[in-house]
Amino acid sequence: MKHPLRTLALACALAFTPACASLQLGGTQIENPVAAARTLDQRAYALLHAYAAVIEEATDIVRDPAAPLAFKRALGQVERVATPAAETLQIAVTAYVGARADFEAATDASQPALERAASALTIAARRLGDAIDAARAPVSELEDLVRARRG
Amino acid sequence: MLNLMLQLQLLLAALSAFLPLVPPEHLTRAAEIIDVAAKALAAGGSIGANLDDLAAKLSAVRAEVEAMAVAGRAVTSEELDAAMVRVRSASAAFRVALETAEAAGQ
Repeated sequence: MKHPLRTLALACALAFTPACASLQLGGTQIENPVAAARTLDQRAYALLHAYAAVIEEATDIVRDPAAPLAFKRALGQVERVATPAAETLQIAVTAYVGARADFEAATDASQPALERAASALTIAARRLGDAIDAARAPVSELEDLVRARRG
Repeated sequence: MLNLMLQLQLLLAALSAFLPLVPPEHLTRAAEIIDVAAKALAAGGSIGANLDDLAAKLSAVRAEVEAMAVAGRAVTSEELDAAMVRVRSASAAFRVALETAEAAGQ
């Protein structure tokens, strides 16, 4: 055998190939917590926590000296939009939860009081829906940047 | 991903064990090649670990929300406050880290 080491290395590589091929490369799935929610408040809650998880990851990238400064600045630009959107979302969902509690408390009240509570709940729900839609875009953008860097 | 990295690292370690069999004139070069491959694998493993970290966090949130949805449970004010505290804390840490990176020019 002229090149025993090369032969051995090739044999090892071939032996390990099936084991490597059986693994799902890139099979790490990024979950979408918002998709699991069924109600507005659950969607808002999922979006807030998902955003927190993404920004925690973005912080690790910013702390990495090997990451380009331009990329870190791009993350910063998106964060400056996403965090105020998350603040607005929190205000909207808090108002919605309060309006829902008022509506539930008004079920035994007079008809006009019930109608007022229902109207307030409708408005709060619409505003919360708008806040969720407004927050999703910058949060998704930040997540895409993080995944682009990590993946 | 991490399993794959582990398998490749084991393969590399196994190949390193055969270094003494390499002819002396090629030994230095072979060692350099394995060293570079090991560094590349270490970097890849780090990236994989971070990606898995994000996936694990999102998966945990999803599991919590799924449980809420199945139970038909509403989110409480306390839970919303805790979520927002986490957002503010993460945002503050991010901004500090960005300022530090800007100051260091990296």
